Amino acid sequence: MTRSELDMKPVLSVEGLRVVFDTPDGDRTILQDVAFELRPNEILGIVGETGAGKSVLARAIIDLLPEGGRRVGGTVEIMGRQLERMDEGERRQVRGGQVALIGTNAKALLDPVERVGNQIVRVLRSHRKLSRKDAWAKAVKLLGDVGIVNPAERARAYPHELSGGMAQRVVIAMALITEPKVLLADDATLGLDATVSVQVLDMLVERSRELGLSVVLITHDLGIIAHYCNRVAIMRQGRIVEMRDVTGFLAKPGTPYSQELLDAAKARPVPSIRATASEGQPLLEVSNLLKIFAGSRPGEEVRAVDGVSFSVRRGETLALVGESGSGKTTIGQCLVRLLDASGGAIRFDGRDITTMPEAEFRPLRRRIQMVFQEPYVALNPRWKVMRLVDEPLRMLEKASAAERLRRVHRALDLVNLPTSHAELYPHELTAGEQKRVGIARALVTEPDFIVFDEPTTALDIRVRAQIIDLVRDLQSRMRLSALFITHDLNSVRSLAHDVAVMNRGRIVEAGPLEDVFASPKDPYTVKLLSAELAVEHEAEARHVHIPQPKEAMI
Amino acid sequence: MTRVPQALRRPAAVIGLALLLMQIALIVLAPIISPYSPMEADPAASLQPPSMAHWFGTDITGMDVLSRVIHATRINLLISVSSVALAFVVGVPLGLVIGYYRGWLSGLAMRIFDFVQAFPIFVLGMALVSVTGQEIWNVAIVLAVLFIPIFARLIRAEVLSLRERPFVAAARCSGAGDLDIMFRHILPNALMPAMVQVSISIGMAILLTAGLSFIGAGVRMPTPEWGLMVSTGAQQMILGVWWVSLFPGLAIVVAVLCFALLGDVVRDLLDPSRARKTKAPAGVALPVPGPVPGTLGESR
Repeated sequence: MTRSELDMKPVLSVEGLRVVFDTPDGDRTILQDVAFELRPNEILGIVGETGAGKSVLARAIIDLLPEGGRRVGGTVEIMGRQLERMDEGERRQVRGGQVALIGTNAKALLDPVERVGNQIVRVLRSHRKLSRKDAWAKAVKLLGDVGIVNPAERARAYPHELSGGMAQRVVIAMALITEPKVLLADDATLGLDATVSVQVLDMLVERSRELGLSVVLITHDLGIIAHYCNRVAIMRQGRIVEMRDVTGFLAKPGTPYSQELLDAAKARPVPSIRATASEGQPLLEVSNLLKIFAGSRPGEEVRAVDGVSFSVRRGETLALVGESGSGKTTIGQCLVRLLDASGGAIRFDGRDITTMPEAEFRPLRRRIQMVFQEPYVALNPRWKVMRLVDEPLRMLEKASAAERLRRVHRALDLVNLPTSHAELYPHELTAGEQKRVGIARALVTEPDFIVFDEPTTALDIRVRAQIIDLVRDLQSRMRLSALFITHDLNSVRSLAHDVAVMNRGRIVEAGPLEDVFASPKDPYTVKLLSAELAVEHEAEARHVHIPQPKEAMI
Repeated sequence: MTRVPQALRRPAAVIGLALLLMQIALIVLAPIISPYSPMEADPAASLQPPSMAHWFGTDITGMDVLSRVIHATRINLLISVSSVALAFVVGVPLGLVIGYYRGWLSGLAMRIFDFVQAFPIFVLGMALVSVTGQEIWNVAIVLAVLFIPIFARLIRAEVLSLRERPFVAAARCSGAGDLDIMFRHILPNALMPAMVQVSISIGMAILLTAGLSFIGAGVRMPTPEWGLMVSTGAQQMILGVWWVSLFPGLAIVVAVLCFALLGDVVRDLLDPSRARKTKAPAGVALPVPGPVPGTLGESR
């Protein structure tokens, strides 16, 4: 940043901002003494965990707090004008006119019964006097600029006809069409595949640079911060605990909390206890697995899994990586027989389980367990933790009630949950605790093999690191074999011995983790790896060395 | 602050519960508090307007309207509650099974429900009661037949979405069989709308019981029953004799209102988180095919 830029007046400045929410138990403070300035052409990252108040901050800046929220102190100044001095009409002009907000989950943000082009036109015409035709032309041009191929045609599409990445681009176009001065991107790429997310963010940042915009990137991904931002603000419990330039932050975080976040974002070293007993036959052997679903049109078929082969030996973990729709979850479901394979063979401990009838497979369920993706929805909301963890035991093993209780407590202990949690319902737990309950359920029957389906998605940075450490610990203590299904390459580095990269139902590249990640051969693997924004690499690019985290204490 | 009082603290809940308690009191205390016998005719005192001796007046046979309105609470609520209970007990498992095992049998069941629900309710009621006889239990069974599809459809709709939820797949991985999944996992999560519907259905059952009696397809004289009383009074309405119909009519209004209000209470109690955000789940209203009974109706 040059001297002259630093001297320029900030486009957005927030001072002593305090926001409270009404609750039945009185006011709850969500934001406390938040102060920052956004300089022209700057990209400021705001990072924090769930509940830190990031999204509320974004909403407070455009004075559109969710119901129940009130600003009780502080000022927000946009382009030198105080928000609280404006009348409602002026504030409406600011929203979308000078400050535009881009939210998460673009598909839900778009009006499902209106063509996307019209939605952009609507935004433009509410801020500028323009004929419908001119507005449409501008919208189409902008859609092209945000990377939508064939924009004239896509402008006539309805939101459901667009992919998630396309929809996000449309939302960005909606934000950019009025040529605002400030862009607030609130977890704008959450839920998109890594490659798409990087494309969208690259485009967003490039456009902003061209148009001279200032951007606030709100995220929980330090990789994004490290890659795109000039400065970073760390939020915790409604306060900004640290704010400084990104390079300085990566080199030496200023508070213990930011240090903890940064450590949590790094990959752990590859699990060292690589199978001592790699000899002998594999525990799980999948050959030429095929799964065909009926397509949306009659006669059409979708080959979700198209001739996949791999094997996992005792004590080893194989990571299956790929983007959404690559068929990796389908494979997991075939292994635990939630789906029947259309062809090929799955052998577990020497026995062919591909088409084994349920009655015969049932005893084997004790030995093959699965940890489900979304922690909350995979737990029956009306069951207490005790009953949830006890279920596999009750169903699969003949044990006395006392014995089962003992084992449930041991399983909870293994996942570091206090036994008092046994009496809680899932909604009373945090996301990390729910995930642990899911893992405890899988562990309670002491299985030989566990399928982890996206164990680290949708978790906060620190919780994610805790779950990774937990799984690492279990791997070494229980000599667990696992199939690890994920698109989070960072967790793959920390957990897997081998990796198989999937694309459109096929494995395009497989091998030991170090080999595949160090020298990828398939173009798809290269693309996937280049889309990863790992803090370590970003720090290196900024000539900052960040030490490997110490092995977590368990 | 516990969750129960919060749901019960709303004005609607207070009124609903007060009305319910009042009706229960009337049912229990009917013989004690009613001034006359509900079925004893006194031709000498025919069609007397409300007075100190007869607060609600007397009907054409000289029976005390107040005593009959009080006693009718027993009959009307007995029929309504038992018909809904029967419909619940049959409809819920039926809905569970046809939702869980889709297929042609489930499709067939749905078409039968369509048929039952499309059939004009009073024609069906008259046909069934004329075949089986004008007894209290027959009326209850007729109503139950009408309500079974409502409960079965509600449960089925819930089951269709619940069976795709990850926790069901997770249960399967834990070795749970179909019965475990249906009754331990899905059913407890599917019951909420049906529970709300119970209360609403009781209100509708009261209305239909009265309607069936009104058109002569329900219970017979001299049984004290609100619809029947409205019906006998309707003939004298044009002569200015308003009290014979008005008071049982009001009793019907109060009873129906009571159970409608309680429907919201049940929902709030079962799911306080949803209660604060949204109104009653859509689609629990009873689709009444055919004519809606005119409770304070014109004479026919």
